Amino acid sequence: MQNRRIIPTGPALPILRMRWIGTYAVAVSLLCCSSILLAQTTAPPQAAKPAVARASGSVPDLSGNWLIAPGSPSWDSADPAGKNPQQLAMTPWAREKLAAAKPPFGDKGTFDNPNDPVQKYCDPPGLTRLYGYPWQFTIVQTPANVYILFEYFHQWRLVTMGQPHPKDVDSTWLGDSVGKYDGDALVIDTVGLNDKSWLDNVGHPHSDALHLVERLRRTNHNVLQLDLTIDDPKAYTKSWTAQRTFKLSSDPMGETMCSLSENEDFQKSIMDRTVPGTPAK
Amino acid sequence: MKRLFFASAVAFLVLAAASSSFAHHGTAGYDMSKTVTLNGTVTKYYWSNPHVILYLDAKDEKGQLQHWSLEFAAPLLMKRQGWSSASMKPGDQIVAEVHPSKNGAPVGISGTATFLLKFTVNGTELPHL
Repeated sequence: MQNRRIIPTGPALPILRMRWIGTYAVAVSLLCCSSILLAQTTAPPQAAKPAVARASGSVPDLSGNWLIAPGSPSWDSADPAGKNPQQLAMTPWAREKLAAAKPPFGDKGTFDNPNDPVQKYCDPPGLTRLYGYPWQFTIVQTPANVYILFEYFHQWRLVTMGQPHPKDVDSTWLGDSVGKYDGDALVIDTVGLNDKSWLDNVGHPHSDALHLVERLRRTNHNVLQLDLTIDDPKAYTKSWTAQRTFKLSSDPMGETMCSLSENEDFQKSIMDRTVPGTPAK
Repeated sequence: MKRLFFASAVAFLVLAAASSSFAHHGTAGYDMSKTVTLNGTVTKYYWSNPHVILYLDAKDEKGQLQHWSLEFAAPLLMKRQGWSSASMKPGDQIVAEVHPSKNGAPVGISGTATFLLKFTVNGTELPHL
């Protein structure tokens, strides 16, 4: 992989002035020392402050632990509760995938043998679905890369700054993400995703042609806004957008893992016993 | 010692309706419009992903002992509400509000990321939403 590090031209955050040994060293140190780093990036919630005014060319500060609010299983802004997941403009391929999905969420949620790939197999949730679980994530900005670290699965994302996508990107769970700053926003462009994950908790599918654009900006000190553009011609007949906001949290980052053995235990102890129509026991 | 189960089953409308509550699996198996209050004894307290589970014995209105399993949110979310793995132990006396299963099995849910019902251990109330 080519060296993609860049040096910001404007005023930068203190963390940006750190000397980075290299992409992998940074990633390893982040993962090994996450509790220390995350504590340092945590800011206590305060009364709403205006976003800090920045000089032209500077880097917006997106640091902090951001709490994902629960309660909207679908990315469809017209149907956040997932009452009519089929109403999005889908291709026949996507409609077939959605029809086969048996999610445990939304109005059509079931406890009867759900086939949610996260719950059933502990598959990685995928980029958009990581924003659908009620835990925290944190953003670490360096000149070369931005790292987004999620409590859920302890999954981390790499966003390479100021570079184009490599040619012939392989399809992976997290794809290839490149980023740039646009005013007060971090804009992340992702391609190269496999089609094994769902977009959201009600089972909206996506294909390996998914092109995802995330725009993250601080609307005030305590609120981070995500504007998402989903362009997937194999799955949706037109691109569509969605939006979520996240609150700054004073809680340190914690651990929430997906363990197949624990999930199976829970399925047998709780979920299988509550399936309507089965004998009460 | 009294271990009464009373299915108060008061159908007060639950603020956290099924569509807005959140667990890693939703709440499809539960009757979220009902709340019953259990009075029983802890047999096992399982502080584990994906959800904390409490096993307790409680008598029904006929005096028959039932082995209940109660689901709560994930450990990290419960910790943020002020609970811990030491919040209770086998033998402790519990009074717990529960949304029961739809099929009548002695299984219920008492907390997710969006709600946490009233719960007391040996007369001391734990944090709830």
